[in-house]
Amino acid sequence: MDVIANQLFAGLSMASILLMIALGLAIIYGAMGVINLAHGEFVMLGAYVTWALQTHVGIGILPALPIVFIAVALVGLIVEKAVVQKLYHRPLDTILATWGIGIILQQLVRLGIGAESRFVKGPEILSGNTEIGPLIMSNYRIFVIFFSIAVLFVTWRLMTRTEFGMKLRAVIQNRDISECYGIESKRIFSITFAYGAGLAGIAGALITPLFSTIPTMGTGLVVDAFLVVIVGGLGSLVGSAVAAALIGEATALFSIVINDTLGRIAVLAGIILLIRFRPRGLFPTETRR
Amino acid sequence: MSSKFQFELVALVIFAVVIAFGVPAVMNYDGFELNTFARYLALAIVSMALALSWGVTGLLNLGQAATFGMGSYAMAMHLKLRASSGLPDFMSWNNVSELPLFWVPFNSLAFTLLAGLLIPAFIGGLIGIFMFRARIAGVFVAIITLAFLVAFQLLVINQQGLTGGQNGLTGLAQMTLFGWAFDPYSMGFYYLVAGCVTVALAIGVYLTHSKFGLVLRAIREDADRTRFFGYNVANYKTLVFCISAALAGWAGMLYTLVLEFASPTYMGVSFSLAIVIWCAVGGRESVIAAAFGAIVVNMLEGRLSDIFVEGWHLILGVIFVLVVMFMPRGIFGLLVEGAQKLRTVGRARPGHAVEPLSTTPLETNQER
Amino acid sequence: MKRRDFLGGMGAVGTAGMLSTPALLASSGRALAQGADIPVGLLFSLTGAVAVVESTLHDAALMAIEEINASGGIHGRQLRPIIEDPASDPATYANRARRLMIRDKCVSVFGSYTSASRQAVLPVTEQRNNLYWYPTLYEGRECSRNVMYGGAVPNQQQDDLIPWAIENFGPRFFMIGNNYVYPKEENNYCKTLLAKYGGEVVNEEYVPLGHSDFSSVINRIRAEKPDVIFATVVGDSDVAFARQYHAAELDPSQMPVVSLTRSEVEVKAIGGEAAAGHFSSAPYFMGHGTPENEKFVEAYKSRYGGDQVTHFVSEAAYFQVYQFKAALEKVDPANITPQTIRDAAVGLTLNAPQGEVLIDENLHTHLWPKIGQWKTDGQAEVLVESKERIAPRPYAAYEGQTCTGEGLVKA
Repeated sequence: MDVIANQLFAGLSMASILLMIALGLAIIYGAMGVINLAHGEFVMLGAYVTWALQTHVGIGILPALPIVFIAVALVGLIVEKAVVQKLYHRPLDTILATWGIGIILQQLVRLGIGAESRFVKGPEILSGNTEIGPLIMSNYRIFVIFFSIAVLFVTWRLMTRTEFGMKLRAVIQNRDISECYGIESKRIFSITFAYGAGLAGIAGALITPLFSTIPTMGTGLVVDAFLVVIVGGLGSLVGSAVAAALIGEATALFSIVINDTLGRIAVLAGIILLIRFRPRGLFPTETRR
Repeated sequence: MSSKFQFELVALVIFAVVIAFGVPAVMNYDGFELNTFARYLALAIVSMALALSWGVTGLLNLGQAATFGMGSYAMAMHLKLRASSGLPDFMSWNNVSELPLFWVPFNSLAFTLLAGLLIPAFIGGLIGIFMFRARIAGVFVAIITLAFLVAFQLLVINQQGLTGGQNGLTGLAQMTLFGWAFDPYSMGFYYLVAGCVTVALAIGVYLTHSKFGLVLRAIREDADRTRFFGYNVANYKTLVFCISAALAGWAGMLYTLVLEFASPTYMGVSFSLAIVIWCAVGGRESVIAAAFGAIVVNMLEGRLSDIFVEGWHLILGVIFVLVVMFMPRGIFGLLVEGAQKLRTVGRARPGHAVEPLSTTPLETNQER
Repeated sequence: MKRRDFLGGMGAVGTAGMLSTPALLASSGRALAQGADIPVGLLFSLTGAVAVVESTLHDAALMAIEEINASGGIHGRQLRPIIEDPASDPATYANRARRLMIRDKCVSVFGSYTSASRQAVLPVTEQRNNLYWYPTLYEGRECSRNVMYGGAVPNQQQDDLIPWAIENFGPRFFMIGNNYVYPKEENNYCKTLLAKYGGEVVNEEYVPLGHSDFSSVINRIRAEKPDVIFATVVGDSDVAFARQYHAAELDPSQMPVVSLTRSEVEVKAIGGEAAAGHFSSAPYFMGHGTPENEKFVEAYKSRYGGDQVTHFVSEAAYFQVYQFKAALEKVDPANITPQTIRDAAVGLTLNAPQGEVLIDENLHTHLWPKIGQWKTDGQAEVLVESKERIAPRPYAAYEGQTCTGEGLVKA
C-alpha cells in the first residue's frame, strides 16, 4: 500500500514534467497546426541556458527561469520568422523543416559546447523530502508539480482573458476574417510560437537537476509530449493536463505492477486504443478549422 | 495514358538502366562500393513504400520502420538458423533451452521469403482495419502508427532470448538459393538487389497509375467525396497499407542480406522519420522520386560524413530546411516543373496540353 | 573541421575510381609496403547517442597516436589515423569498419563502446582477418581471434567486489541495469558469486536504454530495503538514476550503489555531491598514483582542457594504442599484417596508467581491479586494490567453457 501511494506521487511527478513539455507543443499545434519536431531541442536549449547561467554567471535554477524563458523564446521567434512563417500554408512540411531545425540546434550545441553530459545543481532550498505518513516526496518534485499547474493556469488566462488570447482564438477560428478586422495574424503566430518555445525552455531548465543534460536529450521527450497533446485533444490545455496526468499515473502504476519496459508498452497500447475510440482526444475543442 | 504516366515510365527505364549499367561502371565494379550502393537501393524500396501510403493516399505512416524490421528479422532468423548448429548462440546465453516454436518454420527459405512479405502485410492490414474502420485520418494515423512502432521496438528489445535484444541478430550465414551463395560484395548480389528495386518500382508505378491509384489519389484529395461515389474508402486505405507494409518487409529482407545482421535500431522512431525525410526530399507524389530521394540523401550523408567528420550532421540539417523551404515538392517537383516549362516553350502554345500541377495542398485530407 | 586526408573529390562516387577491383576483394592479409605510413582506423561515434562517451575514447586514442608520431613513430614510420564517424548507428559501424579494413588497408582498427556496435563490427573483422581493438569493459561472452579486448570482463570487476560488498554492507542485493546483454551477463555472473558467498538477489530489474525517470525503481528500493544496489545502468540513464537517488535522500552509507559502469565521466555529469559515498569497481581511476597515469592525465588535460576527465575506458583506449605500438615493434617491418601484430601482442606487457597490463593468449587483458568510493570533488578514493594482476576469464559464469588461444573450448 505504501508503495502504491508513493507510486501515485511518482506518477504525478512524471505527469508534471510531461505537461511542462507538452504545453508549449499543444499551444503551437493547437494554434497553428504546426507539428514542431524541434520542440525537444527547445527543451534541450533551456537546459543548456540554465547550465551556462549557473556555471558561468552563477545564477541558480529558480532565478534563471525568466532568463531561460526569454532566451529560448527568442530562439523560437527567430526560427518562426526565418522558417516556420514561410510554411503556414503547408503544415505537413513544417514537420520536415522543424526536424531539420532540430538537427541544426542539436549540432550547434554539440559543436559549440561539446557532446559530454553537463551538470546542473538543483536549488538548495528545495533539496530534501517531505514525509506524510508512508508518503515520501522529494521537495523539488513537489515544486515542479505546483509550478506546472501554475504555468497551466497562466497560459489558460493568457488564452481566455487577454486581448492577445482573444486575437489568437479569432485567428484560429478564421484567419482571413480576423485579418479583415485588423488582426495581424502573422504577428500573433510569431508570438505564440515564441511563447511555446519559451515554455519548452522552462521545462528544460526544470528537468536538468533530475536528468542528464546532453545535446540529444530532447529527442526522446518529444515523442511522449506528442502523445500527450494528441490524447488530450488538439489545442486543449485542460485536455493536455488530464492526458499528462493519465499517462504519468498509468506509467507509474504499470511499472510497479509489471516492470518499466512492459509498463510502457501497456501505456502505449492504451493510448492507441484511446485515440481509436476518441479520435478527437479527451477534450476536443469545438472550432471550425 | 497520361503524360505523368509517360513521364514516370521514362524515368523508370532511365533509373533501371542507370543502376544496371551506369552505377557499376562508375563504381569500377568495386565490391565494397557496390555493397554500399545496394544498401541505398534497399532503402529506396522502403521510401517508395511510404510514398504509396503518404504521397499518393495521404496517410502518413510513421510505423514504416516496424514493418521494415519484420522483414529484416524474418530474413535474419533464417540466416541465423543456417549459421548455427542447433540452438542459436544468443538463445543459450539467455537460458532458452529449446528453439521457440515461431522460429522453427524459418528453417525453410521458401517460408522465410513468404513470411518476410506476408507478416508485415498482415500486421499492416490489421492496423489498417483497426484505424480506417473508425475513419481515423490525418495526424491521428501518424500518432497511432508511431505509438505502435515504439511499443513494437520495446517488445523486440525486451524479449532478448527470442530476438537477440538490443544487439539484434548477428553472425548470420549467407543466403543460398538453388545452390548459389549470395556474397553481398559480389556483382551477382548487386544485380539481385537492383533487380528487386526495379521490380518494386514497376509495381509502384503501375499501382499509382492504375484505377486503384486513381481512387487512392481521390481519397487523398477528399475522402468523403470518394465515399459518396460508392468506394469503400476504408478498404482501399487498408489495402494500400498492406501493400506498403509488404514492400517495406521486402526492403527489410534485402537490408539484412546487405548488412549481414539485423538490428532493432531499424525499428526506431528516428529511422521512421528518416524514411519520411527521404520521401519528402525526393518528392512524395511519385514512387520513383521517393526512391531517388532515399538514394540521394543516403549518398549525401555518406559523402558528407567523409569530408566533414565533425560538422556533417549540421550541414545535413541546413540542407533539409532549405529543401523544404525552396523545393516543396522535392526533387521530383523541380523536375516536373522544369519539364513542363521546356514543353511549353517547345510547343510555343502556352496553356495547351500541359497537365496542370496538382496544387491542392496534401494536408486537406482530414475526414469530417 | 577535420578533413579526411586521403579524400580528394566531392563527387558522389569519385573516390571509388582510384581503387582496383582485385585489391579490394582480396583479404587484407598482404603486408604493407615498406617505408610508407602505417594506416590505423579510429571508429568512434562523434555524433549521435553514444557520442557522449565515445568522443572521449576517440580523443584518448588519437592523443596516443600523435604522441607516438611525435616521438618518431614505429620503425621510423608514422601512424596515419583514419577517422570515421559511425554516428551511433550499427550499420554504419559495420560499413565503415569494412571500408577501413579493405579500402584504407588499415592493419588495425580502434573502436566503439557499446556491445551492439562491437557485434556489428565482429563479422567484418573476422571475415577480413583484421584486428579490432575494443577498449570497453564488456560481458565476456566472446572469444574472437580478431578482437583485442582491453576492458574488464565480469570476473575482473566482480571477484573482489562481491565478497567485499557482502562483508561491508550485507547480503541482500538489488540489481538494476539497462535492458541488454551486458547487464544481464554481469548479473548472471554476480548470481554465481552470491551463491558462493551467501548473498541473495531481492530484485532484478532492467530499464530500457536511455530511460530517465527512476521514481518507480526508487520506490521499489525503498520498499525492499536492500543492502546493496548492484548497478549496471549505462550512460545518461546512470546520470539520471544517480541524481534521482540522491534527490530521494537515500543514504549511501546504508544502501550504497555499487556500479560496474559509473566512471569519472558519469560522475562529472551526476555532480560530486550526488555521487559521493557510492562505489565503483574498475581497473582504473583518474587519481591513480603511477607516473604513467600522471603523464597521461596531464597530457590529456593540457590537450583537451583542464576540466576534462580520464576514465577506465578512455585509459584502455589510450594504452591499447601503445600495446599496438609495442607489438608492431616486435614485428618484422617487411611483414606487417594484422596476424603478425596479433601474434606479437600475445604475452606482451606494458606499463599502463593503471599498472602493468598483460595481453593474454585469449586476447583479453590482465588488469588491476580496484574498488573506489566517490568523493564530492568527482574523484574516487581507492579503498581496495587487488594485490595481483587478475587474469581475464571470459565465460566465467558458464562451467565447462573456456576461452583459450585456440578459441572457445567446450568441455
